[in-house]
Amino acid sequence: MSKIEKPHQAEELRQIEELRRIIFGANADELAALKQRIEDVESRARDVSEVLAPAIRNTDTSALVSSLQGPVSLSLKQAIRSEPEEYAEILYPVMAPSIRRAISQAISSLLITINRTVESATSVKGLRTRIQSLRTGVPYGELALRESLLYRVENVHLIDRESGMQISEVTVDDIDNLDGDAVSAMFSAIQNFVQDSFSRDRKARLTDFKVGDHTVWVAHGPKLMLACVIHGDAPEGLKDDLYDALYKIRTNYAIQIAGFDGNIDQFDGIESLLQPLMQLQIRDGDSAVSSSIQKNSIPFIIVGLALLYFGYLWFVHHNKLSTVEYYLKQAPGIAATDVYWESGKLVIEGLKDPDATVPYGALEAYDIDRQLLEFKTIPFRSLEVDMELQRFRNELILPAGVYLSVRDSVIHLYGEAPIKWLNANDARIRQLAADNRLTIMGLSASLESVSDLLRSNFAIQDLNRIRMSSNTRDNLLVVEVGGTFEPDTLALVSALFAGSRWVVVTAKKPI
Amino acid sequence: MQKKKICMVGDFSVGKTSLTQKFVNNVFSDKYLTTIGVKIDTAIVNDTKLIVWDVAGRDSLSPINASYLVGASGVVLVADGTRASTVSGLVDIWQTVEKRIGIVPVVVAMNKADLEDWHIDDESRAFFEKQAWDIFPTSAKVGDNVEKVFKKLVERIQSQDN
Repeated sequence: MSKIEKPHQAEELRQIEELRRIIFGANADELAALKQRIEDVESRARDVSEVLAPAIRNTDTSALVSSLQGPVSLSLKQAIRSEPEEYAEILYPVMAPSIRRAISQAISSLLITINRTVESATSVKGLRTRIQSLRTGVPYGELALRESLLYRVENVHLIDRESGMQISEVTVDDIDNLDGDAVSAMFSAIQNFVQDSFSRDRKARLTDFKVGDHTVWVAHGPKLMLACVIHGDAPEGLKDDLYDALYKIRTNYAIQIAGFDGNIDQFDGIESLLQPLMQLQIRDGDSAVSSSIQKNSIPFIIVGLALLYFGYLWFVHHNKLSTVEYYLKQAPGIAATDVYWESGKLVIEGLKDPDATVPYGALEAYDIDRQLLEFKTIPFRSLEVDMELQRFRNELILPAGVYLSVRDSVIHLYGEAPIKWLNANDARIRQLAADNRLTIMGLSASLESVSDLLRSNFAIQDLNRIRMSSNTRDNLLVVEVGGTFEPDTLALVSALFAGSRWVVVTAKKPI
Repeated sequence: MQKKKICMVGDFSVGKTSLTQKFVNNVFSDKYLTTIGVKIDTAIVNDTKLIVWDVAGRDSLSPINASYLVGASGVVLVADGTRASTVSGLVDIWQTVEKRIGIVPVVVAMNKADLEDWHIDDESRAFFEKQAWDIFPTSAKVGDNVEKVFKKLVERIQSQDN
């Protein structure tokens, strides 16, 4: 439905406009412009940006920090999560030197620890410490550390002065600690006791006391006290550190300290302020080491001599083993797969031909007695050329004029052999040749032996008719016996060499 | 964890140390009682760690060392039920405590309840009831009510804190 203004309403509006012009006059336009600036978001943002920087400069810093802490922290977290690499790159110049320094310090500490451990383990002092450790049940590492320490802060107790209750405690790991709450309360009680007993000045404080190797330094604040248990002699500068720590704690936890009622949960993170007080200093390394070497030269010499002796024994054993390995490798018919020392003997494992010859003579030259060797070998037949040669020599018992030799890895049986020896060993020689274990190309019966055989069987007139010559038949050197004989004599000659392939009878009957 | 300091107070030889020994984690030897006049032990009750200050007993020559009471959240008043003077003496002891640390939760351990002549005189009972203290007949010898004493005190301290 359209809105229709009545005549008297239009008149009222006109009068109001007239009245506004009278009241605001020329400022009416400025008001309109201001209204537009307020309503326009972009314009308002420009205005804020102009005044933001001076406003931050002039504002209450703590209130601003408190207000911005949440959103800025959240923004940073989100930004780092979304662009971790970029932030790592930005922070690298800041963090890298610290990280390098930390790693370097850690490595240095490790090296110092290793040096000291080696030193203490090989010295008289080290042995004494080990005995003490066994006697007392205190771990060796703990005793060794104690002896090498100039001082070490073992416990730091932050104590509420009024109640004696412990607020926080840091302690080294390698010692047995009493209940920190009880110890702190006892510190407080001792404080009260000493104050009540010996001092009329209510403000006087027990600041340090010494028991054996331990010293307790106590730093006092208005509400807190910091008790520091030290093993050894700490520098006075540590007291300044105690008071500095106490000051930081008072500054950072002022509200919690003022309202402390036994609730220690509200002191979250306070250990980080106490931890720097856990200081230690090792005795001067150079002087300690040099004096220790002078004092402990005898054990060093003993250890050195022992090392030399055992080193020599090891060398001799190793040398004998290597020598045996070398000679067995050269010996035909022996394949040693392992050689080792066992119960004072050199044990040889592997394969061994029963016909193989162990080079005892050569080994004895190196002071390796045959009794020292123990063969745990499996027998086998070696086909090495040297072994075959040895085996053939043993088996065939070569007569004069017959030789075995190796040419191009092939065994040759050659020479002029007596016919009787040839006939006796023919089957074996034939088999070896057929197996390609040797060749008999240069082997033949000697004419002299054939002649002797004939001479012993025939009359002189028959012998004069016999002709002998050497010839090759079927790759074999044979002796041919020829001539012309009466049938009876011919039959006798043929019978004499029947079955022998080394002599071929070519004689004929008279025509 | 919440920690609370409590004190065991009473006349000499009423059994404070024996009561404490029945319940706590012993840290130090009893010799401290005769040397510095207090021995510290700890115990855990209802997730609260109690730091128990066993204060050396009062006798005719030496009063309680009130400086040991400072900062205590509660007190166990201990008397020997077979010695009337130690029961009535709790009134004086309480005044010493109150003067030094103000009103704190209190539990009364009327010890040696295992003995036949154990009793509380009417005047003392009236005083305790007027203070609205819990009274436990305890026996360090057989262990009766020992745990209850400490638990009740912790309850009172916790209810006061809340």
